[in-house]
Amino acid sequence: MKRQQVYLLILASITIPLFLPLGLKHKVTPEVERFYQTVESLPAGSTVIVSFDFEASTIAETKPLAQAVLRHLFARNVSVVSLSMLAEGTGLGYSFLREVADEFGRKYGEDYIFLGFRPQYQATILGLGEDFAKVFPKDYSGNNLSDISLTQNVRNYEGISLIISVADGDLPQYWVDYAQTRYQKPVLAAVTAAMATTYYPYLSSGQFSGLVGGLKGAAEYEALLGQPGLGSKGMEAQSLGHLMIIALIIIGNLSYLIARKKI
Amino acid sequence: MLVQFYFQAPYLDHAYQQVLDWVQIIYLFTLGVGAINLIKIHLKKTTFRREAPYSAITLTGILVMLFFGLLQGKETGSVFDWVFKNVQVPLQATMFSLLAFFVASAAYRGFRARSTEAFVLLSVAAIVMLGRVPIGNLISDNIPDLANWILNFPSMAARRGILIGIGLGTVATALRVISGIERTYLGK
Repeated sequence: MKRQQVYLLILASITIPLFLPLGLKHKVTPEVERFYQTVESLPAGSTVIVSFDFEASTIAETKPLAQAVLRHLFARNVSVVSLSMLAEGTGLGYSFLREVADEFGRKYGEDYIFLGFRPQYQATILGLGEDFAKVFPKDYSGNNLSDISLTQNVRNYEGISLIISVADGDLPQYWVDYAQTRYQKPVLAAVTAAMATTYYPYLSSGQFSGLVGGLKGAAEYEALLGQPGLGSKGMEAQSLGHLMIIALIIIGNLSYLIARKKI
Repeated sequence: MLVQFYFQAPYLDHAYQQVLDWVQIIYLFTLGVGAINLIKIHLKKTTFRREAPYSAITLTGILVMLFFGLLQGKETGSVFDWVFKNVQVPLQATMFSLLAFFVASAAYRGFRARSTEAFVLLSVAAIVMLGRVPIGNLISDNIPDLANWILNFPSMAARRGILIGIGLGTVATALRVISGIERTYLGK
């Protein structure tokens, strides 16, 4: 089979389900259930940090993850202090946050704020534990933190119930190293599928209170919320894509065996 | 910072804050140095015929984003925001999405059961791939359970081994630097 034919087969298998949904059911895994229950157990009115630690390249996975988590938080009446540890995550995180907050009619400054981006994540994570306003004297829109009602009440990790890192790299590990270990704040991670395996040891050791991995995790989270979204849709495309790759591997191996027998 | 972690004293807290501030200030300057270096390299490359168009695009991108960023800011609706969302995001997402096609092509060509070890690797990969999608459930309820077992036990054991190795290596390197044995960072 030629390379172009392989590409065409993959293209067909991942685009067809986007137009003709298969209606696949998602079985919720224990790690996603733990993540969901941790958020569910937060009392209304508590405040969490959501860090958008991803870049544009992984938007197909990180957007459904971020949206599902933010929907759950806003539905639970939890306030959100958000930021990004990567420059590219700033614009994306801010737009996802605004989009979901508008869906729920949440008010900027009272129910949520976006701090923006600071370089050097170790110093940023540690600095936030001392004083938000020291690291971010102004929010992303240029308002003084001292003028915003949410940050008048919550000044450092003392007022924070939970830290959630939506990430495509190793940043959740830094939240564990510097916020969870030093300030004893529970950390949840919503990460891309490629990174999920890296974080299973952190989950079993209790350093993560929950883990949502990839589109599958996002689809499961959406199932728990009872609100299918981008994760469920994308997961159907990914399902057929995986099937196609397995079929290609089988075809490749069969042709290899036939060719070997002939020799 | 290490001492401040274990002992509480106002002067230690003050020193800790100072260190945190300085780390960020130094890091910001390194970003500036990086940007200047990038511009210098691409200005030089514009003199080479083959690479000139690509370098010209890079420099134009830097200048356009810098100009509109300074002029209008980065708020929703600004040119900076529009270019980021409509040029950079789709371009980067497209580059990353191409992986699906390359992985499929590579799997078709290279994933061969040439030995018992290769067959085990291939079978495990197929189980995890099927177990991580809802179609795996439709085929058999055992597939997702098996995939989760692979991730939670053999894969996690290997990952833990790597993490412990990295941790020990980091401690050893830190001790070498602190004790002055490791001085390559000084150019020696």
